[in-house]
Amino acid sequence: MPSPVAPYQQLAREFRLDILNTINQSGFGHIGGSFSSIDILTAVYFSSLFNFQRDHFILSAGHLCLSLYVILAKLGKFPPHLLASYSDLGSILQGHVSADVPGVEYSSGSLGQGLSFAAGLALGDQSHPTVCLTTDGEHDEGQIWEAIAFAKKYQLGNLINIVDCNNIQIGGSVQKIMPLGNLAARYVQLGWTVTTVNGHNFPQLVRALKKAIVPSAYPTCIIANTVAGKGVPYMENDYHYHDVKKLTPELFLQATNAISKT
Amino acid sequence: MPSPKPKIRSIRQAFAKTLVKLALKNRQIYVVSMGLTPSLYLDEFAKKFPHRFIECGVAESNAAAVAAGLAKTNKIVFLATYACFSPGINWSVIKQSICENHANVKIIGSHAGLLTTDLGATHQMLEDVSLMRALPNMQVFSPIDANETRKIITTVSQSPLPAYVRLVRASTPVVYQFSGPYVIGRSQILKVGRDVTILGHGPILTTTLNLPTSHSLEVINCSSIKPLDIDTIINSATKTGRVLCLEDHQKNGGFGEAVASLLLSHQINCRFIHLAVDNQFGQSGRDYHQLYDRYGLGVDNIVDAINSLLL
Repeated sequence: MPSPVAPYQQLAREFRLDILNTINQSGFGHIGGSFSSIDILTAVYFSSLFNFQRDHFILSAGHLCLSLYVILAKLGKFPPHLLASYSDLGSILQGHVSADVPGVEYSSGSLGQGLSFAAGLALGDQSHPTVCLTTDGEHDEGQIWEAIAFAKKYQLGNLINIVDCNNIQIGGSVQKIMPLGNLAARYVQLGWTVTTVNGHNFPQLVRALKKAIVPSAYPTCIIANTVAGKGVPYMENDYHYHDVKKLTPELFLQATNAISKT
Repeated sequence: MPSPKPKIRSIRQAFAKTLVKLALKNRQIYVVSMGLTPSLYLDEFAKKFPHRFIECGVAESNAAAVAAGLAKTNKIVFLATYACFSPGINWSVIKQSICENHANVKIIGSHAGLLTTDLGATHQMLEDVSLMRALPNMQVFSPIDANETRKIITTVSQSPLPAYVRLVRASTPVVYQFSGPYVIGRSQILKVGRDVTILGHGPILTTTLNLPTSHSLEVINCSSIKPLDIDTIINSATKTGRVLCLEDHQKNGGFGEAVASLLLSHQINCRFIHLAVDNQFGQSGRDYHQLYDRYGLGVDNIVDAINSLLL
């Protein structure tokens, strides 16, 4: 039963505005990837496919923390007004994801480690799914490929790696910085089940997740093709919005208006 | 009367045997291996507990984070290979995935120091203590012999915190005679004396127990490098006023610098010499005594250092 799309879209709109406001307030944040990944995370957290009291979610790309923080605030894991303290001295809401935040299972920031950690969890707790979110740029890291081989060897059918493929990283396009070849084919070759979806299409995302939680001997990779900065036309596909220091009032207003119309 | 010649035992074998013994009683004990099973004598563990023996191949970064994830499912995970690879290769994974995430992983770094002999510079890990003692949440231990290795492995398996245990390749003299369990943060006075305090860790310290000198030496085994036994070190340094730190490790960031910092910050007025590898890489040698002489850590160098402290 593919769920109706509207509730997801409404949630994602709310989350994009929360992310934008939080970044505008603090003057800092990784906005491009937060906007490319928020639809994925909305599907993961609101599809009712997982119960993260016992199932596991690992954000390997720790700089996408704002996507996770706004969702956890919505879920009541901490008071939403705390979002205003993002990156403040002493705040639990660190600039890279921190397990000090209720609902966060893994502190990260150094790329490429989360999939290995997720594989360890999946091995130690085989009766529950472990979902990991990585990015395409993160696949520059050799450790990711060590983890991919490991997960196949130990037949971690309960491990799901979603790759946010937004084709940007801090210094340019992923294609330009380090071409990854055919990512799906590489995963298939190493023995994973691979599904490719539009990472902004909720029925596709939910379908892929549903398929992934069916018990099997194969770990699943969901390649989610996304648009960096999705929802704000002037940010879309522009690597300069990988992270922002400060938006001008005009650009902030433009972004707010654009997201409100999505 | 000369003391009887001590037995020579393998520290690595002591580690592996202890782990099997502990794992027989505790089903939560796991090993994450990185392709060097025979060299760490872990074959028996792998055979006895195949489901608790996780082989990652020579991929130390993945292994460290797998160990951390596994530990988060209430397992006690021993991450074991050569120190030059772990923490040598995977230090930032240990920092983030193990230390920042409070994962109960025990890192076993074998082949530490010049004691690695013929394998040469790449395999003689001389920087591990510096790397590991810098990490918040990390405890650091360096057993003096096979007996103490058994005790330390048993104690760290019961501690909920991450730990690094530095092991050596060579078989070395057994001098540790203390009964009772190993206590984290406590050193042992191996010899009571009044002229010079010798502080050190690992098998190199055994070379100071029968030195050709008439001076009265106090030899303290500081196997608990982090946390340090502050009181014992300060009391002895205050008593003798002369401290010699000895280690088979780089001077930079090593145990001796931890001691120097401790003594200075407690305003202990004493003379101080740190004998360690001084900003150089190791090299092959067939006998570790030869290497110790070459790097200024031999018996003659130690006696010279004692004499200059007493000048």
